[in-house]
Amino acid sequence: MKRIPLILDGDPGHDDAIAWLLAEAGRRRGSFDIKAVTTVGGNVTLDKTTYNALRICTLLGLPAPVAKGAEHPLTADLMNAPSVHGESGLDGPALPEPGIELSELTAVELMVKVLKESEEPVTIVSTGPLTNTAALLLSHPELKSRIGRISLMGGGIGFGNWTPAAEFNILVDPEAADVVFRSGLPLIMAGLDVTERALLQPEDFSRIKELNNPVSGIVWQWLEFFYEFHRKLGYAGAPMHDPCAVMVLLHPELFTVRDYYVEIETGGEYCRGATIADKRRVTGREPNAKCIMDLDRDGFADRIIEAIGEFT
Amino acid sequence: MSEKYPVWMDVDTGTDDAFALLVLHQLDCAEIVGLSAVSGNTPLENSFRNTRSLKTLMKADYPVYRGASKPLFREPHYVPEVHGENGMGDVNLPLPEKEEPEKAAWDALCEAAVKYGGSLTLIATGPLTNIATAFLKYPKLPGLLKKILIMGGGTQEGNITPAAEFNMYADPDAAKIVFKAGAPIVLCPLDVTERVRLTQEELQEIKGYGNEAGPFLYEMLQKPLQYHLSIGNDGAELHDCFPVLYLACPELFDTEEAGVAVETKGGISLGKTVTDLYSDKQFDFRNALVALDVDREAFKKKLKELIRQMP
Repeated sequence: MKRIPLILDGDPGHDDAIAWLLAEAGRRRGSFDIKAVTTVGGNVTLDKTTYNALRICTLLGLPAPVAKGAEHPLTADLMNAPSVHGESGLDGPALPEPGIELSELTAVELMVKVLKESEEPVTIVSTGPLTNTAALLLSHPELKSRIGRISLMGGGIGFGNWTPAAEFNILVDPEAADVVFRSGLPLIMAGLDVTERALLQPEDFSRIKELNNPVSGIVWQWLEFFYEFHRKLGYAGAPMHDPCAVMVLLHPELFTVRDYYVEIETGGEYCRGATIADKRRVTGREPNAKCIMDLDRDGFADRIIEAIGEFT
Repeated sequence: MSEKYPVWMDVDTGTDDAFALLVLHQLDCAEIVGLSAVSGNTPLENSFRNTRSLKTLMKADYPVYRGASKPLFREPHYVPEVHGENGMGDVNLPLPEKEEPEKAAWDALCEAAVKYGGSLTLIATGPLTNIATAFLKYPKLPGLLKKILIMGGGTQEGNITPAAEFNMYADPDAAKIVFKAGAPIVLCPLDVTERVRLTQEELQEIKGYGNEAGPFLYEMLQKPLQYHLSIGNDGAELHDCFPVLYLACPELFDTEEAGVAVETKGGISLGKTVTDLYSDKQFDFRNALVALDVDREAFKKKLKELIRQMP
């Protein structure tokens, strides 16, 4: 099987870090070729997410250039979510200082380089606000055909989390999401519908801790930190939002996927950032996204634990 | 049943409004004190005439008041493909001879609420234009209502657009006014109203009840049945019957307290009832009890029992 070329675009973040861990494990097993890591402001400020990206890639030994992305959303003002991930955006265990240099290219420049050089269409895995990808599409429309698909964590067909109607990543930059959802590119959407069910539970944490490899202890502490926040909201585990966007590429059989026409609300008083899905086909529009609606939770947890086991 | 609730019903008759009104008339626990018609499924002239004509079938003389002929700020949007050209499945009933009072719906509703001193229950099964107009004209009215039972909205999806249900979409501004007014609201959204449908076999069963209402319901529901079969459902929907049966049998329903806001400024989300039922983020208000599920078998049984008792 050919390796799938990937660009990992995110705002790490605990669950971004675990998503990238899955990607790196996939690379080690021959599934992926990670061409670039790009950052965006979201969970915390761009400086912090970029620093975190460098630390994560160092920890994982993920051999890809890291480039700093957009300072702010396309048109909206920046908003951050530090309460979920702590002050640093990746609170919990002490991480190694970055052992790699930040690329001199901007995120969009690095994406352009990767797309131009790649022989195969590239899959973009977006686990933060969609600003970089939208900026790429707006500034380099000629490269659209080089993008194979975009697998993104964002939105929710039935509900939101940051407002009752909107999920955080989409809410931060709804205009960027609108560009992406109108792009005509194949989209895989891991929304809250599935990601809030993609729980790692305390018994999984123990299994991870027992792996006792150079990465497992840190992942275990991330999960403890991340779960602590969500436990107070009534969750039975730590929701693995972002890892869904990678796992669906490795193990599509774990997921229940529906084809829907999805639009982004960019206006609205209560609905800005909502992903509105035409489940009943009342608009007459053809579906533009594969929306993940459910998963085999136990199989998902097993695959994550297996991936962490790669880092011996 | 010893005590009867005084009830006002505001309708856009509408096949399911007609059905719901016949059911309400049949309830021992309810005393209908007034009816008002609004533009919605069908133009006001139709909903007013249809509501009046049902009195012939019910052999009752409830006053029917004219309400709004269009939404507060927007243009009307009718659905003849569901309810027929006349709004009642293209079935006709003779009109009663007696003229209706001249008073406007909102004035009459407020008078009734004052008269019943806080015990009046309002059932609204159309766009909320009449109710919002009444609240704008009489700011104390929300505090005089015991409860408003509303058919409308959907917590996760719509039916007329991906985001919005018909009644909310038809007049989102009115809905917003009503949801912000502070009156106790029980909302029956699509989540619950789409749980029960009547199949052609069941309609045939109802036709054979040996009363006047059975064959009437059968005929009237053929149009919505055909519509629903055409979009892949297995029977005719009965949306407006849900708030009416909630009045009689709340124990059949699963409900949750929620914050509910109506989107009036969105593009694609216009008319969406945004709830905080499933979101980590909660609204800082709880303004409605939302029905999310119903005991389907018990609901159908009760409904059929009431239809059998009809004239």
